[in-house]
Amino acid sequence: MKTVLNQEKFQQLLIRWVLVVLPTVLIGYVTLRFVNLSYTSLNTGIGSQTVYFALGIILAYTLYYYGARLAVTVLLLWVVYWLFENAINKLPGEFDVLYANARFLLFSTLFILGWVFGFLLARIKWSYIIVSALLALANLVAISETVDVSLGYILLHLFPVVLYGLYMLFLSPLLFVKIELSWKKSLQLATRLAVFVMLIFLAFVVTDFLLKGEVKAVEKELAARGAKGKDGGAKEKDNYDERNGLMERGKGGKGDDGYRLKDTMRVSTKMSQSDKLMFCSKLDNFTADGSPIPLYFVYHYLPRYDPVKESFTRDVNVPSFDEIEVDPTNLPMYYSFTDTSIVRKSLGNKFRKVVEAQVYLSENTWKHSVLGPSSVFSIQTIPVEKDFQKTFLSAYKIYSYASDLNNAYFVYNISANPILETVQGQRHDELRTIKNYRSIDRGFFNYYTQMPTGGIYDSIAQLATKLVPKDATPVDKVLAVRDFFLQRNENGKRVFRYTLKAGAVDDPNIPSSKMLYDFLFKTHAGYCTYYAGASHFMLRALGIPTRFTTGFATINRSDKNKGWYWFYASQAHAWTQVYFPGYGWLDFDMTIGNEDQQSAPKPDGTPPLPPPDPWLVLNAKAESVNVATKKLDASFNELIYFKTPHQLNKTFTRSIDASLCRVLYNERDTTLSALKAGDSLIIVSYNDEAKKIPQPRGGVAIELQIKNFPSPIVADEIHIRAKKKEEKPQEGTGRPAQQQAKKMTWQEIAWVAAKAITVLLLLILFSPLLYLFYRLVRIALAKDISAKADHVYRASLYRFHMAGFERETETPLEYAEKTIDPNLHVGFADFMRMYLRLKYSNGVVREGDADTLHQFANKVAASVRAKKGVLKTILNYFNIMRASRYFQTPISSEPETTTL
Amino acid sequence: MTDSIKKLKSLTENIETIIRGKPQQVKYVVTALLAKGHILLEDNPGAGKTVLAKTLAQSISEGVVDFHQAGGGVAFKRIQFTPDLLPMDLIGSYIFDDVKKDFVFKKGPLFTHVLLADEINRASPKVQSALLECMAENQISVGETTFPLDQFFFTIATQNPIEMEGTYPLPAAQLDRFYMKISFGYVTEEVEFDIYTNYLKIGDMKNTVKQVLTYHDIIQLQKEAENVYVHSEIVKAIVRLVQATRNHTEIALGCSTRGGITFIKCLKAWALVNQRDYVIEDDVRALAQPVLHHRMVFRNREASKTALQQIVDTEVNKLAKLGIGMKK
Repeated sequence: MKTVLNQEKFQQLLIRWVLVVLPTVLIGYVTLRFVNLSYTSLNTGIGSQTVYFALGIILAYTLYYYGARLAVTVLLLWVVYWLFENAINKLPGEFDVLYANARFLLFSTLFILGWVFGFLLARIKWSYIIVSALLALANLVAISETVDVSLGYILLHLFPVVLYGLYMLFLSPLLFVKIELSWKKSLQLATRLAVFVMLIFLAFVVTDFLLKGEVKAVEKELAARGAKGKDGGAKEKDNYDERNGLMERGKGGKGDDGYRLKDTMRVSTKMSQSDKLMFCSKLDNFTADGSPIPLYFVYHYLPRYDPVKESFTRDVNVPSFDEIEVDPTNLPMYYSFTDTSIVRKSLGNKFRKVVEAQVYLSENTWKHSVLGPSSVFSIQTIPVEKDFQKTFLSAYKIYSYASDLNNAYFVYNISANPILETVQGQRHDELRTIKNYRSIDRGFFNYYTQMPTGGIYDSIAQLATKLVPKDATPVDKVLAVRDFFLQRNENGKRVFRYTLKAGAVDDPNIPSSKMLYDFLFKTHAGYCTYYAGASHFMLRALGIPTRFTTGFATINRSDKNKGWYWFYASQAHAWTQVYFPGYGWLDFDMTIGNEDQQSAPKPDGTPPLPPPDPWLVLNAKAESVNVATKKLDASFNELIYFKTPHQLNKTFTRSIDASLCRVLYNERDTTLSALKAGDSLIIVSYNDEAKKIPQPRGGVAIELQIKNFPSPIVADEIHIRAKKKEEKPQEGTGRPAQQQAKKMTWQEIAWVAAKAITVLLLLILFSPLLYLFYRLVRIALAKDISAKADHVYRASLYRFHMAGFERETETPLEYAEKTIDPNLHVGFADFMRMYLRLKYSNGVVREGDADTLHQFANKVAASVRAKKGVLKTILNYFNIMRASRYFQTPISSEPETTTL
Repeated sequence: MTDSIKKLKSLTENIETIIRGKPQQVKYVVTALLAKGHILLEDNPGAGKTVLAKTLAQSISEGVVDFHQAGGGVAFKRIQFTPDLLPMDLIGSYIFDDVKKDFVFKKGPLFTHVLLADEINRASPKVQSALLECMAENQISVGETTFPLDQFFFTIATQNPIEMEGTYPLPAAQLDRFYMKISFGYVTEEVEFDIYTNYLKIGDMKNTVKQVLTYHDIIQLQKEAENVYVHSEIVKAIVRLVQATRNHTEIALGCSTRGGITFIKCLKAWALVNQRDYVIEDDVRALAQPVLHHRMVFRNREASKTALQQIVDTEVNKLAKLGIGMKK
């Protein structure tokens, strides 16, 4: 007897393995996949991770299913853990220990996680809510770490967990009774599940419909973050290895795609480079004698180091974060965006001046963020001359609050050049006036000097503190670090080398901090990220505010075109910036020049012609177009007049002469016939001697000056703006051009997701009540008595069902006679008889039918309430399972006894 | 309508004075009567089958009357089927008339209005099939002559469960002639007590049964049953139901078209018995088992219990979900 019982119990366990454990393992697998996608340091094979997790769940579930004691099992688990932990540390070989430790840590974490889940599922009744919530949270955190996030992506990632939760919700009442394994029961279960899933799916569709506005807002926000939609793989493929490069291919929703520097940086074994032209720039930064001073072009500051992911990341929430946040593609032609707070946030005024630069971007470049010397505070879009449009897609002019103490001539620690060394010396002498950082804000200081402790980081700190006495000036400390990288051995050879293939072990699983450690103490070979990363930690260890910076190294190849610089993909670079009070952030590049191999310098190209200055830029709307005479009427209330933007207080309409005009659509040349009335236009007229141009007069209202404008206005360029951008761009007079560029944290994503899920759940929860209202409305709207009887019939059947009197296989009349009337005394049977007569006997309404109907209809609600109580009656409508049963066809399982 | 309801009520009440606690079964028997059909009662011996049949017959006949003289009376005959019964025992035979010097036909017990064929499955198939013609065609052919039976010919057959010893299962064709097959089942404790006390009070049952209906009443009721209205949706549901029995995996032999027609006839009669002149969905559910089940062959015992009921429930539920004017 006992064995039979056990067999039965085992069978039940097997069923639960299939029904509960298997889906949980699956959902765990899905979650682990997502987590792995975002956290590369975990990357040891998704398969093994899932196995660890599954092992934990199955073991715990089985144990606790058979009633194992929690305390005993946990103690046992701890003993096993302790034994293994000790055994691993006894392993021979330092590397083995490290490797095994990492493995074991991963294994034990996942196993224990699985164990906890298994315990919860086996013992705690509502545990699946906790489990689902945990998984959803893990998913959300994982999602928020990925760069390319879209709402569809979020929902896609959350859908499995939500589905799992609802599945468990559906399943949970079954789990506490014996599950029968008959074919019919399973079929019944399956159909119910199918109906349930259908309901959920419907609810999802409705939620999507309801939340459309919200979704769009979120997508806009996400688009601003620089990620939307499709993969830009339409163009030719190249062999650039994104995983190991400094750059990655950005995904632009606006049809362009290009490479950009990664938002996060970690040290990896090797770097791949390509020699594509990224952009070129005219930089108006010259010495007094007219020789050009190149400056590094900054892409992003990565001030935060994430010790878990072992990578440098952006952090826009830092106070005094002097990175302009604007998407240049959102700026209409000739419009500018200025953020003067950047000047203040650059935290320096000594040796600072405004530097103008023009940047021409090739198709290979990411176009949604600004490239320029550090502390760019203003940007204006400018057109690209027709002849250069093949090479350069777009261009902008920027103003930067640059420091004279920065100079890209210091690239790769150039030494042995006496002139440069003198200049560097002067710079360092100037900076020696800063003795310490006592005067600066503590929060700022702590933020920029924080670094993780323990293990590798401690040894880096020790190395740094050994290099230089504690009381040295900050700049001397920086120089000490530089000299550390420049040191030569007894043979006069450099100790540190530059190489693109840095890692000795080509194993991506090795954490990058370990690689940094190897770089500093063993191999002494690496590329810019190694030098920047190592010096970053060393400087921070010395108490010097430092930040990791990515961008492009500027190389002055020839003096043929003074001030013009060409940037190729191989110039992507990482270096450190060091803060000096009063001077602001200054570039310090510790990277060693590549002595072994000098790649053949690339020749500079022909610089594009700068566009002529416009005297008038109109933000206009085409009223009428005459293609034959090449004239059009345009109305406008915004204009830029001699570089000054004006907002007009009324709309003006002027005739425009487009006979000599260049027409562009989406920055591409087209003809005037492409222009339709109603299009939004930017009309540009150049400052040309031949034209009669009214000069601006001070003190006169712009509306009056417009009266002096020639008629027609001769246009030189007409930019037709793509229609999909409906929102009016704001002018760049300090106001932000777009309310955008806010990075979404995972909390925000979680909030939106929680809202969506709440709406979804509410919708599901309220659907039975909504159905009741629908039925009641139908009663109210019914025209004749038979229609009314019909709706009363349906509504009351539904009400009785939801009150707990579920009709099984009996007919409504039997149901009325046997179930409803004995309990509720509403005369449902009388009503049913009348109803059936109307239904099946050619529908002749008899005298008294209307009375029966009204009497019954009026009594239904009251009788249900009287029986069940008001609160219970309402609460009953939230029983979704019951409501779903109402819509299913009941199948009799009991044989009819009376007649067989 | 009210008149016939009264008559039907008196009939059922009259039967129920004897047959206690079985209103449903009584109704079934009356339904078969009004549908001009025949009924087969199956149960263990002693459940009251024969008593029911006798009571019904007595309620509408004036005791034992001659078939041909029954000018308003109803003739009732009872045959106890045994294994050695011969067909001629039922239909009669030619015997030599000494006076006329000729063979004359001596009519058997089949020439009657109400026939109680007791324990029909104890007779040999030969005898069973002798019943066939008279049940289906209302006539009896002997040699060259065909004798018509009266338009009112109602057979109540009883049988013991097939599993019991000394029985010949009825052939499918024979079963098909019966409009309904119902079982009795034992009564509840209270009803049984009631029956015993009743028995103690009245010694002779025979005297207590009154005749409440006449021959003409029955003919009239049968005509009224034919006039009961059947909604086209009900007919459609029956079509679907019959089709479903043929396509069901657990059913080897589905319902025949004759079965469907019989079903509709019975539905009409049942509606009348329930004092309605229209058929409702409840009727379909109530009659499906007794009318259809015995016409079908099931693949296994489990299916025999549930398959038909499931099909009926599905169809009835579909009907219940239709609205007036049969809108969805």
